[in-house]
Amino acid sequence: MEKKLALYICTGCGIGDAINVEKISNIAKNAQKVPVVKNHFALCGSEGLETIKADIANEGVNTIVIAGCSPRVKFEEFSFPGCIVERVPVRELAIQLIEKQEDQQIAAEDYIKMGVIKAQKGDMPEPFIMETVKTILVIGGGIAGMTSALQCADMGYEVVLVEKEAELGGFVNKLYKKIPTSLPYKEPLIVDTDIQATIKAVESNPKIKVYKSSKVEKTEGQPGAFDVTISTEGKEEVVKIGAIILAAGWKPYDATKLEHLGYGKFKDVVTGIEFEEIAKKGKGKILRPSDGKAAKKVAFVLCAGSRDPNHLPYCSAMCCASALKQTKYVRQDDDACAMVFYKDIRTPARTEYYYKEAQNDAGVMLAKADVIGVSDAGNGNMFVEMENSLLGERVKVEADLVVLATGIVPATLDDPIINLQYRQGPGLPDLELYNGFADSNFICFQYETRRTGVYAAGCVRQPMNMAEAQEDASGAALKAIQCAEHVAQGIAVHPRAWDKTYPDPFMQKCTSCKRCTEECPFGAIDEDEKGTPYFKPNRCRRCATCMGACPERIISFKDYHVDMIGTMLKSVSVPSEDDDPRLIVLVCENDAYPALDAAAKSGIKIDKAVRFVQLRCLGSTNLVWIADALSKGIDGMLLMGCKYGENYQCHFAKGSELANYRLGKVQETLSRLQLESERVQMVQLAIDEFEKVPQMINDFVERVKEIGPNPFKGF
Amino acid sequence: MSEQQKTEVTVKPDLEFVKDVIASGGGDLKKCYQCSTCTVVCSVTPDDKPFPRKEMLYAQWGMKDKLISNPDIWLCHQCSDCTAYCPRGAKPGEVLGAVRKMAIQHYSAPSFLAKMVNDPKYLIVLLAFPAIIFLALLHYQGFLFGEIPRNEMGQIAFSKMFYPTYYIDPVFVPAALFAVISFIMGIKRYWADMARNHPLPAGSDTTSSLIETLKEIISHNNFKKCNVTKDRSTAHLLVFFSFIGLAITTSWAVFYLYILGRPSPYPLYDPMKIVGNVSAIGLLIGITLVTNNRMKNAIKAGKGSYYDWLFISVIYVIAVTGILAQLTRLADIAPVAYFIYFLHLVFVFFLFFYAPFSKMAHMVYRTTAMVFARQAKR
Repeated sequence: MEKKLALYICTGCGIGDAINVEKISNIAKNAQKVPVVKNHFALCGSEGLETIKADIANEGVNTIVIAGCSPRVKFEEFSFPGCIVERVPVRELAIQLIEKQEDQQIAAEDYIKMGVIKAQKGDMPEPFIMETVKTILVIGGGIAGMTSALQCADMGYEVVLVEKEAELGGFVNKLYKKIPTSLPYKEPLIVDTDIQATIKAVESNPKIKVYKSSKVEKTEGQPGAFDVTISTEGKEEVVKIGAIILAAGWKPYDATKLEHLGYGKFKDVVTGIEFEEIAKKGKGKILRPSDGKAAKKVAFVLCAGSRDPNHLPYCSAMCCASALKQTKYVRQDDDACAMVFYKDIRTPARTEYYYKEAQNDAGVMLAKADVIGVSDAGNGNMFVEMENSLLGERVKVEADLVVLATGIVPATLDDPIINLQYRQGPGLPDLELYNGFADSNFICFQYETRRTGVYAAGCVRQPMNMAEAQEDASGAALKAIQCAEHVAQGIAVHPRAWDKTYPDPFMQKCTSCKRCTEECPFGAIDEDEKGTPYFKPNRCRRCATCMGACPERIISFKDYHVDMIGTMLKSVSVPSEDDDPRLIVLVCENDAYPALDAAAKSGIKIDKAVRFVQLRCLGSTNLVWIADALSKGIDGMLLMGCKYGENYQCHFAKGSELANYRLGKVQETLSRLQLESERVQMVQLAIDEFEKVPQMINDFVERVKEIGPNPFKGF
Repeated sequence: MSEQQKTEVTVKPDLEFVKDVIASGGGDLKKCYQCSTCTVVCSVTPDDKPFPRKEMLYAQWGMKDKLISNPDIWLCHQCSDCTAYCPRGAKPGEVLGAVRKMAIQHYSAPSFLAKMVNDPKYLIVLLAFPAIIFLALLHYQGFLFGEIPRNEMGQIAFSKMFYPTYYIDPVFVPAALFAVISFIMGIKRYWADMARNHPLPAGSDTTSSLIETLKEIISHNNFKKCNVTKDRSTAHLLVFFSFIGLAITTSWAVFYLYILGRPSPYPLYDPMKIVGNVSAIGLLIGITLVTNNRMKNAIKAGKGSYYDWLFISVIYVIAVTGILAQLTRLADIAPVAYFIYFLHLVFVFFLFFYAPFSKMAHMVYRTTAMVFARQAKR
């Protein structure tokens, strides 16, 4: 595509009053050879937009630099199909954040210069399009999986449902009754699960193909073109899949590990699920496993294993409400009492109403207590022994049946389930952060996993109840469909859900160092037999971590590459005076940049020495940029990215962490240049921490001033 | 046995007891989720091991022993601050009221009377008992369908209908004696239970505790700490002193009759009559205030139970029939005056005879518990 560049400077919002537009226009025209340079007092208004559209139509302009407000606003106005659009936030970065007019001018010149370079160096993205299918694979035929399958089918997508058991229904199928699904909750507070209706709906749906007694043996390929091997009782079949919903569910915590609670020792100590089976078998009658006598004093021990650092450190979320429901099984016999021993009753949202109703029953007795053991009462019954109880310091209560509310263990804890044939391994990475749950820290995309095209729903993701699992199932279904649709069009899935670019390596220069294959947070890069990396673009989220990792600098995107950013950095003005430093801050566009916008909007001022450059992700930071900038006389560089570690907020999970890791190696580069390593630092910033920005910047400026000017200054 | 094992307590939930509390006015008992707001807002609880949070748990679990013999349940004046502030609407004040009633039932003998007093379906039977006694006495004297008695001066004279020495005292003295014996039996058992569950400190003195407790009762100082039902202590105080006034009047009348040999009626200016009439009016006003307070506070504090309302109603009837009997007598409306007097006697009998089983017993049990609590340094 023959590019024709145009720069439009908006003089509205006080920009025209603050800066000398003519001077900047001349720099662009003369020094940067921009053929069309115009300004307008309200570029986003209809007249301004008409000017741009006329130039596109009449002048053949197709690469547009708009110097005005932040790209986070007015993006609908400044969208010109078929054109490269580069937005330069002069208003925020050059004017609102900087105090003095003379400094605002220099900053505006720098930012516009960089914007023009970016537009000059970028190319029109062309999507990567391969043959794809939109079939959704649902792993797990429990309530979450079946809900996902039905929702996808209802929206017109083919579904393949794989269930490891011989029947669909999961744990719901084992339940005697469930909690009513609608308010107000009224006695008897238990209703039929109706799971058979859902099973029938799934099995009779022509769009859903069900594989029972089956498991996923292998998952190869990439979103839109997964080759999934399903094995059914030794028979294997390969199906083409677009996206995957992982609803593999959970299993109860192994009660044999709860020896102190008498499981295995007493026949009448059972788990919550076993209690459901007892109730189901007895058609509501609660008969003791040991002697078949009707149980009259049933003790429920909550948090049996949960919220215990020696067992499950987390809350299993559904046990409190489930146990309250099970008290109603007991109370179908008016002479029987159900005694509940809890650490805390946790019934959030509307289950609180259920708690209130369930509790309001003469024979339902609750007490906060630390249950320390279950012992023999000598008469065929047991004593539940407890400490720190509201009933007393050390108390025991006789029970003829003890139910342990064992918690939720995710299916993914010790089984990869999806069995990916990826270089980085068969399962979802980093699940130890979530105690084995297929969870993530993605606030906005909670069904997301670190394997593109795989979406987790239900108790495999987090401990939850049936209603929540169904909600999860809908969310994951929508994400899976979005993924299948996006890859069909060659667009990235979240978070860069508009992005048509993809990594395009110049393989002739690849040394097979494998850094990219190791560092890609999404396992998008595999290796062939010779060890040469090859990209699976549909797995890629376009964070450009590979671009930052590559020592040969051969990985590029159409509108984002090492040379582009390097040239921009080198174009930044360096003041000649020694006491007038120039610093560059590389900011992540996901959280740190929005925080800057917010800082600008709230009137915060920062040091004039600073220039900000936005990156897709700090993970895309290539160390050569540091050399580029410092060799030009820049006094220091700060990397401003998302929080990393256990509670990471990085939109690409690992980007900021990898940037920090690489920074550890920058020492070498700097000492080669005979520079102090402290000239380059990294800070973590959350999107809501804009008030911290000035302090972060000022501290860094002060430190660099202490170190003194860059000796390369003036060379 | 280790020290720890020694202190281990076996809790025995009693579902029937829970059902009883619920049936006795603690209908919202089970809504409590042990947040302890009640204990925090209570103005009359001791700071150490405060109530009523723990009592709510005991009641929810049917821990009868922990409740019935617990002096704390009587330290509660049912201010209903707890009930007003309870976030779950569990009405701790009503629950403790129900528990107190059950304590009275538990300790009073014979127990079948306790059951009957608490059950509206026996009300007729309970009233019939004194009614039949007095009807029988009337019949015996030939007044039932015969002449209307008048004294020598032709006035209506209730002493002509039932001459106290032969008809009133032989009925009321044994009735009172019965009540006193029943009370003594109940209190003895209650004190023994309390002392077993809450051992008294060595060298503690019941007499001085009793004196202090009586001072407290006369002043109602603790009762006055109530917030939500602020006016209740005043109403109660009025009823309380009116009863004392009426007790004095009764003793005075005994003195007139047996020492001076002067049977009724007495002239209105007689000091004894003045004390009696002032007390009667005080009682009427007091019980009206009690009723008003209960109505006014019903939303915040709860409606109260049959047990409460039976007691209030009996006092009402006694006050009203007492006053009306005198008025109709003075107006010389003979049959009506005698009929009202008859009613008055039936209800007074009801109050005294069933006192150990009705809410009247709170007078004795509360005093006992207060003495015990004081002695136990609660």
